[in-house]
Amino acid sequence: MGLMDVLLKYVRKNVSVKVALLLTPPLIFLAVWFYAPFLIVGLYSFDMINIYREITFTPSLVHYSRVLSWTGASGIFLRSLYFAGINVLLCLLLGYPVAYYISFKVKKYKDVYIILFIIPFWVSFLIRTYAMMGLLDERSFFNTILLSLAIIDSPIKIMYTDVAVILVMVYNYLVMMVLPLYANLEKLDKTLLEAASTLGAGPVRTFLKVTLPLSMPGIMAGFLLVFIPSVGEFVIPELVGGPSNYMVGNIIYEIFMGARHWWVGSALSMLFIAFILSLVIIYIRGVGERGLAI
Amino acid sequence: MKVIRSFLKIFTVMVFLFLYSPIIAMVIFSFNESKSLAVFTNFSLKWYEKVIANPEVWRALYNSFWVGAVVTIISLILGLMMAMAVTRYSFTGKTILESFILIPIIIPEIAEALSLMMMYIFLNIPLGPVTVIIGHIAFDISFVTVVMRARMVGYDKSIEEAARTLGANELQTFFRITLPTLYPAILAAGLLAFTLSFDDLIKTLFTTGPGFKTLPLVIWSYAARGGVSPELNSLSSFALSISFLFAIFRLRAERRMGR
Repeated sequence: MGLMDVLLKYVRKNVSVKVALLLTPPLIFLAVWFYAPFLIVGLYSFDMINIYREITFTPSLVHYSRVLSWTGASGIFLRSLYFAGINVLLCLLLGYPVAYYISFKVKKYKDVYIILFIIPFWVSFLIRTYAMMGLLDERSFFNTILLSLAIIDSPIKIMYTDVAVILVMVYNYLVMMVLPLYANLEKLDKTLLEAASTLGAGPVRTFLKVTLPLSMPGIMAGFLLVFIPSVGEFVIPELVGGPSNYMVGNIIYEIFMGARHWWVGSALSMLFIAFILSLVIIYIRGVGERGLAI
Repeated sequence: MKVIRSFLKIFTVMVFLFLYSPIIAMVIFSFNESKSLAVFTNFSLKWYEKVIANPEVWRALYNSFWVGAVVTIISLILGLMMAMAVTRYSFTGKTILESFILIPIIIPEIAEALSLMMMYIFLNIPLGPVTVIIGHIAFDISFVTVVMRARMVGYDKSIEEAARTLGANELQTFFRITLPTLYPAILAAGLLAFTLSFDDLIKTLFTTGPGFKTLPLVIWSYAARGGVSPELNSLSSFALSISFLFAIFRLRAERRMGR
């Protein structure tokens, strides 16, 4: 019997060995290249790495207190929440009617509608954002048409404002709201709607009392899928906004790359990650595990 | 009812217009002869000629492809191992493991990218293609695992048992039975992994070394520096056609799985 056979026989007998063999390589990779970096950030944030990149065992909260005592920080956290909140709301307001229309009113070629809806999102995030820059630009055809039709008398200056940041966020994240909503509405038992109307409910009442409550799981899934990445948005404020529209991600970037203050940057990163994770945990507690079954 | 129906229809059409108009405008104006972003004067390929004549673009495209290929292969292997362990066996700590897998999907990429960059610098690892590849794999594994796990739920283990009964050993069974059966799932996960790597900006931006650029980095540096320009319109339209190509592959792979 060769060595291979002996090994195979051993592995065959022990399920735990099989599991360990399968899990060790990916877990080591994740531990070293995904989780260990956050350990380094943690060490920096607690002042446990000095400027000579040596680890010291004298933890201190000085950088956290600097972040927390900086009045601008809370403003930026609030702005990020506000942008992400408005984004979710607009995605819902724009996305719900679309998902509803395709799911309830389109009889034939539903798949065609959905594919048509998804096609713009095949384009990468960066290029979609750039395409929106073209539309928002003062010199764009959009402004020119409005000017020539005398709808406006000076070009709309949207670029580098809060409106631009939010508009481009909606443009990029709409799909994350519509797809879970559509999936949810498709599963919804349509006979319930007939029952409601047989029992005398009008279309508005049916919608408010039956459809809307039943589509809450879809709304919640869309909420998470849009809200979490948009709180951490970095590219959009960088390209279509400016320092006055910066979100947490941009400030962390500025502290790291601009001010090169890794300790404060790390403390802010840690707070930010803790914030995002607690949002997700609150969500899972509220909605349940299935909310994450994307 | 009719009013509601036509309102919904118009609303949906408007949303579709909102989604398509920026992209279509970008493509149209990439063929514009003049530098104007507002008036289309004449059809011209001169901005494309400029892009094609730019060696930086070709180098970046080449880099994007080979980085994407390496990332895809390694992520597939590691993700498949993880997905197989999670779907086939029950063991203690599985719930913790699942959140361990999901966290890379949840954490904002900017925090992840800066942390990895800090560790590279802390450990004196020279930045370049290898550090970019490692960074991409670190988030791709999770996506691959999630996609594969979803596809493997209905997997019928009895054919493997049949193969084993007929005398194949574990490795033979894996390469002759398991892998071919999982082929559609592997294809879908692989195309997703490639797309994520190919389109990635943030992680690449912070983990790359001097001179090593991928296509998104080139687009980013032009867009951040000069804003909208006809030349960048054509470069972006060019990149768009590549994205479309991969999306069509992905769609076909998914179709195949549906059958």
